[in-house]
Amino acid sequence: MRRRNIEAGLQQTNPQPPRTKEATPTIFHDLAGLLTHEDLDRARDRWRVARARWGGGRWKVGGGARLLWLLVGPGVLVFLGENDAPSMLTYSATGARYGIGFFLPFAVATFFAGFVVQEMTVRLGAVTHRGHAELIFDRFGKFWGFFSMGDLVLGNFLTLVTEFIGIRAGLGFFGIRPGIAVGASLVIVLGAITTGRYWTWERITLALAAFNGLFIPAALLSHPAWPEVGRALATWSPLPRGNHAEIITLILATIGATVTPWMLFFQQSAVVDKGMQPRDIGMGRVDTILGAALASICGIAAMLATVPLFRHGMGSGQYQAAEFAQALEPWIGHTGATLFALGIFEAGIVAAITISTSSAYAFGEVFRTGHSLNRPLRDAWPFYLTLLGSAGAAAALVLIPRFPLEYVVLTVNVIAVLAMPPALAFLLLLVNDRELMGEHANGTWANLGGVAITALLICAGIGYAIATVFPGLLGG
Amino acid sequence: MKPDERATSPTGAHESLAARAQTPDMKDPAVVLSLLEADQVVAAKREPFGRRKLSPGMQALLWGLRVYVAAMLVIVLISILRAV
Repeated sequence: MRRRNIEAGLQQTNPQPPRTKEATPTIFHDLAGLLTHEDLDRARDRWRVARARWGGGRWKVGGGARLLWLLVGPGVLVFLGENDAPSMLTYSATGARYGIGFFLPFAVATFFAGFVVQEMTVRLGAVTHRGHAELIFDRFGKFWGFFSMGDLVLGNFLTLVTEFIGIRAGLGFFGIRPGIAVGASLVIVLGAITTGRYWTWERITLALAAFNGLFIPAALLSHPAWPEVGRALATWSPLPRGNHAEIITLILATIGATVTPWMLFFQQSAVVDKGMQPRDIGMGRVDTILGAALASICGIAAMLATVPLFRHGMGSGQYQAAEFAQALEPWIGHTGATLFALGIFEAGIVAAITISTSSAYAFGEVFRTGHSLNRPLRDAWPFYLTLLGSAGAAAALVLIPRFPLEYVVLTVNVIAVLAMPPALAFLLLLVNDRELMGEHANGTWANLGGVAITALLICAGIGYAIATVFPGLLGG
Repeated sequence: MKPDERATSPTGAHESLAARAQTPDMKDPAVVLSLLEADQVVAAKREPFGRRKLSPGMQALLWGLRVYVAAMLVIVLISILRAV
């Protein structure tokens, strides 16, 4: 295998690391010319991880808080990034339309499903050091590769549009004009990437993502009926009643709020860019669980925050963020409504950063141009241009007068779910590829989980198709 | 991997030496390479992994899923047109 050959070659030429320059074998002088800025930055990050593991003169078993702090990132970012504007609006819509009931435990279950598939991308990235798009192209060829890319590009672009709708609507609550809201957000996206350092970008985005927690005080201000919450979580009831087509669409949108193709591509590429190695897989899992748990809590908070609309029979006629915040104001007060609107803005901006980065990673991997946030702007301009270009195009679309924004918001999560089964098929093929993964290939339980999730997504898609084409068939 | 095993493996041993330094000398390629896995270096990643042969059954599955996505996109279009 190619990977083992390189390792064997290096071990042969470098049985012990040289202590002095004089002792340095020729191979290192040769490699000095090949090492890039990206390699040096990644090695610096790895040195900090090594120091954290090494501790006070001996290896620390299991790592520790410092190690977690250094290795946390891709998992938290992917889940809080997916708690984006359309996702939070979906949770809000279910809370306003159906109150506390089935959708609460269902949303939690989707985060479990999300963890199962995202954990596979951690292993793939840490073991192969290649992005998801790159692996699909390498292993399955251009034909299947471009199909996957087509799904990703379409899904990412539509989702990016909805992020800017959220940004516009969230800041619109404060009377900020759309052009200024969208322009300022693009400046934030630009600010995050101009650091030329993955670590700095990750920490800036994590800091922004922490504001997803704004939905928690907004939910507390709605004074949730905790016994009802407990009952719903335990019994998955009461079941939603009414228009079956609408319920199926909301079920699909709720799944699409947690399990989407861009997440697979993003987390694997971020794991690679962060420089994670097989020994970091354990911490990668902790990072992913942490992300799923935090996103689950914030998602439920968004759902609970809008329950007063259900209680007062106001439904969810409007799916745009500003209307939700305004409609909630009489029930959760100006502070609660402000927190809700800021939360929608935050959800949009973090997702705009992560999803445009996911597109840029995939572009760089497929066209074999530099694709790392550790690269300076001048070295990887196609990567940064794709990142900013996709964000800029989506932002511009939102500013077109009379553009049917509400339809994009409604369908984007549904499209994400419908495009997911082929993405999961490639994920399962790759993570079962023992030539690539060796001992880190999927076990029986992971495969069962992956196949079950794929089957459920297909069933949900078929249900949606039946409800759309034959609306009378399902009744309701 | 247990700590002892890690320390005796080539990468682990090199990394431990690098970890002892208060500040790593990144101008020294040996230090950089001791911290990165061999196939983690950008130059090593230029070489693509080889193609994997897909069985007829697997190809049929992938085609089936592709048809599924195409059909579903049509359904979404119908749904949007009805909503408009």
